[in-house]
Amino acid sequence: MPAHFAAGTRINPLRAGIRFVSAVVGPDLRDGSADAPSQRANSGWIAVLCLTIAAALLLVVAGHAAGRRGYDVAPPLFWSGVVLLVAPTSLRIAWPTTARGERLFLLFLLAEALFYCKNVYSPMSFSGYDEVLHWIAAEDLITARRLFLSNPLFPIGPTYPALEILTTAIVDLTGLPLFVSGTLLLAILKGAFIGALFLFLESIAGSPRISAIACLAYMGCSTFFLFDSAFSYGSLGIVLCVLTFAVEAASKDLVGGPRLKSLGLIALLLASLAVTHHVSAAFAAIYFGALAALEALRRHDSLRIKTSIAVGLVAILAITLPSLWVQARGIPLTGYLGPVIESGLDTLLGNILGAPTPRSEHLGAPDKALYMRLTTLLALLLVALGLATGFFRSLAMAAPSGAQSGWRPIQDILKRRWHDSRLVLLSLLAFGLPVSVAFRLTVAGWEIGNRMGTFVFIAVGLVVAVSIVHYWQGRTPRGWRRIAPAVALVIIVLGGVTSSSINPIHGRYRVAADQESIEPMGIETARWAKEWLGAGNRFTTDRINRLLLAGYGRQDVRVTIVAGVDPARIFEAERLGPDEFWALARSDIDFLLIDLRLTTAPPVLGFYFQPWEARQGASLSGAALLKFNDVKGVTRIYDNGWIVIYDVRGLHENF
Amino acid sequence: MRISSKRDLLAACLWAGAAVAAVAVSDSLLVRTALGAPMVFLVSGHTVLRAIGVRTTSAMQHFVYAVGTSLAAGIAGGFALNAAGFLTPLGWAVWFWAVTAAAALVAAGRRDTPDLPAWPAPARVRLWQGAAFMLALLVATGAYALAVRDEAAYREFKYTAFWLLPSASGESGRIIVGIRSAETQPQRFDLEITLDGQPYAIFRSLTIAPGDTWAREIPVPVLATRQTAEARLYRPEDNRLYRSVSTLVPRI
Repeated sequence: MPAHFAAGTRINPLRAGIRFVSAVVGPDLRDGSADAPSQRANSGWIAVLCLTIAAALLLVVAGHAAGRRGYDVAPPLFWSGVVLLVAPTSLRIAWPTTARGERLFLLFLLAEALFYCKNVYSPMSFSGYDEVLHWIAAEDLITARRLFLSNPLFPIGPTYPALEILTTAIVDLTGLPLFVSGTLLLAILKGAFIGALFLFLESIAGSPRISAIACLAYMGCSTFFLFDSAFSYGSLGIVLCVLTFAVEAASKDLVGGPRLKSLGLIALLLASLAVTHHVSAAFAAIYFGALAALEALRRHDSLRIKTSIAVGLVAILAITLPSLWVQARGIPLTGYLGPVIESGLDTLLGNILGAPTPRSEHLGAPDKALYMRLTTLLALLLVALGLATGFFRSLAMAAPSGAQSGWRPIQDILKRRWHDSRLVLLSLLAFGLPVSVAFRLTVAGWEIGNRMGTFVFIAVGLVVAVSIVHYWQGRTPRGWRRIAPAVALVIIVLGGVTSSSINPIHGRYRVAADQESIEPMGIETARWAKEWLGAGNRFTTDRINRLLLAGYGRQDVRVTIVAGVDPARIFEAERLGPDEFWALARSDIDFLLIDLRLTTAPPVLGFYFQPWEARQGASLSGAALLKFNDVKGVTRIYDNGWIVIYDVRGLHENF
Repeated sequence: MRISSKRDLLAACLWAGAAVAAVAVSDSLLVRTALGAPMVFLVSGHTVLRAIGVRTTSAMQHFVYAVGTSLAAGIAGGFALNAAGFLTPLGWAVWFWAVTAAAALVAAGRRDTPDLPAWPAPARVRLWQGAAFMLALLVATGAYALAVRDEAAYREFKYTAFWLLPSASGESGRIIVGIRSAETQPQRFDLEITLDGQPYAIFRSLTIAPGDTWAREIPVPVLATRQTAEARLYRPEDNRLYRSVSTLVPRI
């Protein structure tokens, strides 16, 4: 190289830095097309992966069995099973040259295998707190053959009965037990969700490879493994929600009659969603509302007005149908969701502005294994990297074709020129991830962050997939570019499992830890109550036994003793004060159930009775629970060494 | 190539009719599951999709839409049957039959009902691959069976439940005493019952095997004043009080 040329092109470090950052995060869509030439599905690979997954499932089952017995080998068994399940399948799905059909088959296989892992935690009954609530509602429906029966533990549940309707339809048509019917429904929902998500993303990204990788990245969402696989209305709601998106996106290029027919199907799905789950219906309303707004903003397209009207109609349906249902049933939605949202927002804003920490935040997060925290953190960092390198590229994909050099696509977007509003909207929605993570870092806002994740990850998955395909891998990657992004996806999916719960392995009994507190002795005591006391007695007890008594015992459980007096007040003090005594005496409670296991450790989730109890996080004493032994008019009718039932009907005789 | 035939509609109607017959006359889980489950998940939605006239471009898309539409039909059925007071097995079967038949009639009568998407070409599966699939299915099913067995067999807490209740039948002159064992070994107990502190009945050397329940209804005198009955369980080997329960004897 001539000396005078070298001197003349001295590198400006600032400019080089800007150019580097621009190349990394900028909107450059490397190679244009995302997909390698079409190939046939490789049945050999599929067969090997099926065997691998089966072996992985065996390890997971062994992990749960060891966990039940408290063996140290449980985590290695369980996690090696999960890694064996996730890693090879994810690598194959993310491989640049895999055929569309094979990617789809493997996605279904992976999703159902993860559902299997969730199911073998409790393979004979529903064990999640929300699951038991819905199971009770379904039992009520089968028994009474009427909808809208009240449920004191879940007041809003009966007004969204779609999950229970479908489950009981299966029970009635097939004769299968309720648990089997519910599990069958959930397995179908899992497959339908993956199928709908794949179709939705494929129709807007135009690439099966991007769509498959996005579905894989979606599995990194903290709610995919457990929360959205649970027997709960949200699991049905998210499926109907994504199906609606898929049908709408597939009809984006249709006009006239075909578009109207699609609109008919969308209306049917949105009506079903409105009676299924409030949060999913709200998200659909937000999505279609925002889509309609973007369509109204958009320039460039000659068919813009027809498209805008069609999207506007869908938005109107998505907003009005859930509102009509809430009005028609008189659902106290603001009273149900309002306090959760308000306290979450207050806490988050307080943390940002440095306000004093509310009492709920002093509880801290429940203990979790370090390797699980580290995996979650690493997965989150990888997702963040994907978002950083994929955001402008996703936006660039929405820019008018032909404008793909430098920052020109982004300029076009800023001038309101794009060809697909869905791509723009999803790219922007990916910004919800940092917000949901911020919420998850607070105790009061955890619930909001968790629910947000379910929906935000649809966008996150797409942006991460675009980043992998158009930046990290390209069309025909070689060397580390082939392996590293796929390994990152494996970690992201594993992060979804590690962030799904405190401990996804079945362990020994833990105090006030929702599904970790549900075990045979509590269940058998509830069944004893049904067998020997009959159904429908008025019981009060701690949060977990309340659930078991309502579900297995078919008892009428009470969350208050009388107006203004919570069970915590009756149980927590070492002596029954006059106020509590009189409250109990003039109440209509028949029985109290105390569980001495509560005295063995502080509550894992921070409370024994209700989240708002006064002495959150404080331990209970045996003397406090056993104080009813010495109360005149109270008899101790049942005792198994841990659980005691007191008959308090003698107290009511003078009232 | 797309499929232009409408024979699928006739097949759907026959399937729905068979499901009604199965629910009406059969108690066989297998038959009812084979006929009933596809009605909830696929068949009804497929015909409704055909009736609406939504054009699907691939078999996969058709399946996913049909599942969603079936779920919607099922949800609508829940409300309709609730309003009609017919939320019964036969009510459900008739509902899905009615939806399927009505949708099939509409779809058959339309001229612009879109053709069905073509099925994807079947993948070539070699013998070893088929064997691997079967083995995988066997291992996964076996693992689930193991999980069920382990869940049913394993108990973290071993215990003996002991209770004393007024008679459930409402007879005022009776109390019920019971013991249930969830231990791993047979247990031997002595049982003593007192009435207002006075010894009333004694049962010696009761042997309760794991999983067994021992219960007795015991006649007691009924008085105008309230009496407290107490039952105590002792372990003969150390004669120490093991459990104690009590109840009030109803007055006249």
